[in-house]
Amino acid sequence: MNLICLVKFVPDVEDFKYDVTRNVLIRENVKMILNPDDACALAFCLKVKEKDPETFVEIVSMAPTSVVGHLEDLLRRNFDQATLISDRMYVGSDTYVTSRILARYLEGKTFDCILTGTHSLDGDTSHVPSQVGEALRLHQISNIVKIEETQFKTGWPVVDVDSERFISSYRVGLPAILSVSKDSKYKLPFVKFKNLDLDVSAKIKIITNRELGFRADEVGLEGSLTQVAHTFTRNLQKEDRVFVKTDEEGIDTVYDFLHAKGFI
Amino acid sequence: MKKSLIYLDAENIRNSIDLLEVAELVHGKGEVETYALCIHQCPKEAYGKFDVIINVQDDSIQTYDVLNITNCLEEMHRNYTFDSILIPATHIGRMLAPRLSMRLHVGLVADVTAIDHHDGELEMIRPAYSGKIMAGIVNRGRVPIMMSVRQNIFSYTSHQVKNTLSINVYPTSIQASNISLLEMKVKEKTKDIRESTVLISGGGGVMDQFHRLDELALELNAQVSASRRIVDSGIATRKIQVGQSGHTVSPKLYIALGIYGSLQHIEGLKNVENIISVNIDKDAPICSLSDIVVEGDAVEFIEKLVEKIRREKV
Ligand SMILES: Cc1cc2nc3c(=O)[nH]c(=O)nc-3n(C[C@H](O)[C@H](O)[C@H](O)COP(=O)(O)OP(=O)(O)OC[C@H]3O[C@@H](n4cnc5c(N)ncnc54)[C@H](O)[C@@H]3O)c2cc1C
Ligand SMILES: Nc1ncnc2c1ncn2[C@@H]1O[C@H](COP(=O)(O)O)[C@@H](O)[C@H]1O
Repeated sequence: MNLICLVKFVPDVEDFKYDVTRNVLIRENVKMILNPDDACALAFCLKVKEKDPETFVEIVSMAPTSVVGHLEDLLRRNFDQATLISDRMYVGSDTYVTSRILARYLEGKTFDCILTGTHSLDGDTSHVPSQVGEALRLHQISNIVKIEETQFKTGWPVVDVDSERFISSYRVGLPAILSVSKDSKYKLPFVKFKNLDLDVSAKIKIITNRELGFRADEVGLEGSLTQVAHTFTRNLQKEDRVFVKTDEEGIDTVYDFLHAKGFI
Repeated sequence: MKKSLIYLDAENIRNSIDLLEVAELVHGKGEVETYALCIHQCPKEAYGKFDVIINVQDDSIQTYDVLNITNCLEEMHRNYTFDSILIPATHIGRMLAPRLSMRLHVGLVADVTAIDHHDGELEMIRPAYSGKIMAGIVNRGRVPIMMSVRQNIFSYTSHQVKNTLSINVYPTSIQASNISLLEMKVKEKTKDIRESTVLISGGGGVMDQFHRLDELALELNAQVSASRRIVDSGIATRKIQVGQSGHTVSPKLYIALGIYGSLQHIEGLKNVENIISVNIDKDAPICSLSDIVVEGDAVEFIEKLVEKIRREKV
């Protein structure tokens, strides 16, 4: 089988420090990590490959070239190829543009399935998998916690999806885009000791706009259809607090609040 | 008059209807004609609230078939040319909105929690970096304006009753589908306080009657957690302790009963959307983080609220 896995490296948000006096997040020197959902998607690909060594797994990421080291680290775990889509022109792209760029690269590939994470720690939009799905006109399913491996090979996998209140099982025809959640508990193995210094540079391919051919006004900040106007930190202190007592009026206020918010 | 389309998702009908509030915030009260789109039959609650209800009549569309629902929405947009399309950020909505935005070649803002206007320009507010910061996002001029809206944030309170026009449509863009639902299982409840949507938490103020928290937890489908005070006195296990030396929790609702709210305790509350605190001292630090502060005895509060919930149920 040919599998493609879309991955993204994100700033480690747990590592963010908060500057209370300036009311901003300190983002300098924050380390980048593999997005947790994506690690699970990659781990699933390795499971398939373990059972069926013929499987070819390509990792695709759109990012600055500074992530090459991270990609090499992944390649030492038995992936077959990593493609980094990187061009100065792409800096500042929103999800719509990112998805178009990824889709243009993917259009030219043959694959049985594309695996992705469900959402990312930084943007946390979950847009990219569905938008790439639309651009390629493939079904796409988010929040997958399990993919049945034996049926996967037949081209009609059964996937379990966590939709908060239910776990639903769907059968879907490949090719499709399957987006895994970190609740799937698929675990990426460590690099084997003997492979720690393995030279994998030949397995990395860098794709730029020369290959993909977008006009400058279609990508990056200029091509984006949404724009971050400003960011701010949330004031922890609630401004419009309501004070009540344990009398009937107070209990009714609490009840109505719980009802309006959907807790009752 | 602007036209706004709201997708009614069967997964959370009441909240889908509440997106009417968002339509008014975006376009202005009385300036917008509201359309609802439902697959199969529209719920009764929606009548009288929308100007137009579009019932998609085609038995072959499944409510989880995002590709075909996108086809329907696109077809309706070609017919009506909406100025905005609002989609609740349910499990399906979060796959539907990005697909539709790609289809219509418009920008999309995810998980909107507030609407703002700056110098006449619409700004959609959403959390980013796991809620650590908020971002105001603007749309770069293309219509329709599209957003997915965080569930249960907005509520539509107008009592106006509209003369709803109900239309049945028979879409022409439905295609054969290769996705099917095999089964749905109700999720087993986990016992881990970190995974609970609602936490009923007790502290020094309910020391002698900590077990009474269970009654309220049962009614709200919640789990019970505790401050270190309770754990240190051996009333509860460390497993349910919230705070620096306990667990970090992110429930949607945290009810703090008799908890003071020391820094070490608050350290354990991350991205909690709603806090209600009950305390005899309305100036306890936890109260300054709360949406509602109930001044009074916590056990009395439990008894009365449980009674009210049970009464409303029948
Ligand atoms: C290194 C370190 C780590 C720590 N880690 C944690 C941690 O992980 N988690 C944690 O919780 N604590 C932690 N602590 C302890 C913390 O500082 C507090 O001591 C503890 O949280 C206090 O618990 P409390 O608010 O329940 O109790 P109290 O301080 O006893 O407060 C009780 C509150 O209940 C109110 N009250 C009293 N009677 C009633 C009534 N009948 N009805 C309603 N309200 C009433 C009072 O007004 C008061 O506000 C840590 C401390 C240190 C030094
Ligand atoms: N720049 C990118 N390169 C490759 N994959 C990406 C990129 N951005 C997002 N993805 C994929 O889309 C998923 C959801 O990300 P997001 O839409 O940013 O929440 C991630 O888990 C990745 O699998």
